[in-house]
Amino acid sequence: MIIVIDAANRHLFEDILDDMYRLRARVFSDRLGWEVTIENGREIDRFDHLDPLYIVGLDVEGEVISCVRLLQTTGPHMLSDVFSAILDGEAPLRSSRIWESTRFCVDTARLSREGADTTVSRATCELMVATLETCRDAGISDIITVIDPVMNRVLKRSDNAPYDYVGTVKPMGKVSALAALLDCTDERIGRVRNFAALHDNVVLTDAAALELRPVTAQNGLKNREVTVLPGQTSSVALSPVIGLGHVPG
Amino acid sequence: MTELIDLSEVAGQAGKFDCFLEQVRDRFGFDHVAYLGSNPVAGTMHGYVTYPEEWKRHYTHQAYHLIDPTLRIAQRSIAPIDWSRIEQSDNFRLVFCAAREFGISDRGVTIPVRGPFGDTGMLSVTRDTDEHEWRAMIAHSIGDLQSIAVHMHDAVMNSDAFSNVLRRTPLSSREIEILQWTAAGKTQQDIADILNISHRTVEVHLRSAREKLFSLTTAQAIARAIAQHLIYPI
Repeated sequence: MIIVIDAANRHLFEDILDDMYRLRARVFSDRLGWEVTIENGREIDRFDHLDPLYIVGLDVEGEVISCVRLLQTTGPHMLSDVFSAILDGEAPLRSSRIWESTRFCVDTARLSREGADTTVSRATCELMVATLETCRDAGISDIITVIDPVMNRVLKRSDNAPYDYVGTVKPMGKVSALAALLDCTDERIGRVRNFAALHDNVVLTDAAALELRPVTAQNGLKNREVTVLPGQTSSVALSPVIGLGHVPG
Repeated sequence: MTELIDLSEVAGQAGKFDCFLEQVRDRFGFDHVAYLGSNPVAGTMHGYVTYPEEWKRHYTHQAYHLIDPTLRIAQRSIAPIDWSRIEQSDNFRLVFCAAREFGISDRGVTIPVRGPFGDTGMLSVTRDTDEHEWRAMIAHSIGDLQSIAVHMHDAVMNSDAFSNVLRRTPLSSREIEILQWTAAGKTQQDIADILNISHRTVEVHLRSAREKLFSLTTAQAIARAIAQHLIYPI
């Protein structure tokens, strides 16, 4: 199942995000050999400090098995900066109707072990469906996503092939990376749902997610009493927005 | 989109932002539309609303912008924030009970915009209606509202001369190429065939080019691209 986490509810799910950063470290540093910064076994970059939108997959035990991160292309995002090599020096797309998805990954090790309750393919499709539906519901027409060739093949196999690519394939660590375009149409969502036989709602409510993760529920409740969203009690209205202020470019 | 003023066409015209918001309100049938933006480069804040004068005065006088939970949450969000999703805190009740007295509903959505230099904007729309109709209204308009939010935000930020220069985003070769073919009268399908790319790729690049040129319409984007010598007049 999938949980959608952003600035409005992340105080409830800090430990899910913590597990997500660990999964990203295992995938992007250990497995793919990308030059990402790892601290205490967690992969966190400056875009994580910009309050992005996370889509996170959990298995029946409540363990994080997949994740992806979304940012608006009108503001700071990875293709405009970190991944600019993929675009061969060309300016990235900038549109109110396109979001960028990065750090798309699935815990293949956990899902390939004996007794896993779902498959890599199914977990990937669930994550994609939740991402496409979240984007569609937000009025987003297209996603530009930075992926490696393995993920590209997975997308193609799941009847979810990108309709085009931007820039060129560039070496990155042990593998390479490319930027693909996906539309968030009902047609595509239907195809992926059909491929993986996903007929029900894949996104959990906050309450259901807290139930699935007893630890999170405890932290969530504890946090609920003490956590105030940064800026909520600030006396300065609309200070240059939290997290964006110290980012060059 | 043709019914709306293209804000890039009417530089310097007083009242154009209020007028634009009124057009958005009437076109989609909302009760009210509001925009609030902050420009850290110029150190300014900008607010435009279609709310009644009395509510504007009350809101400002009570300094509700300091506690308004719709702004607090949306400012840090990527996705539009439906007000029903916001926790019913004391501040929420304080602001919305007062709003109710001025005939303003707590059914609304705020669309956050992030610009390239830490500038942020929020476009809010509200309508006093039942849940069912509200969902249908938003499902129908949310895509246009995203475009409108960014168009309004860009126009407001660019009213500062320094920001106007700073915020110009370069176009890619592909965007320029597609604008040039459009100026030559080719349809999106023609261009897709000529460049051997998908129809949707043409559309996505054209939309991006329009927004980089701060235009709501392709015609205005072409006029601006010619003025900036990005493409040749044909």
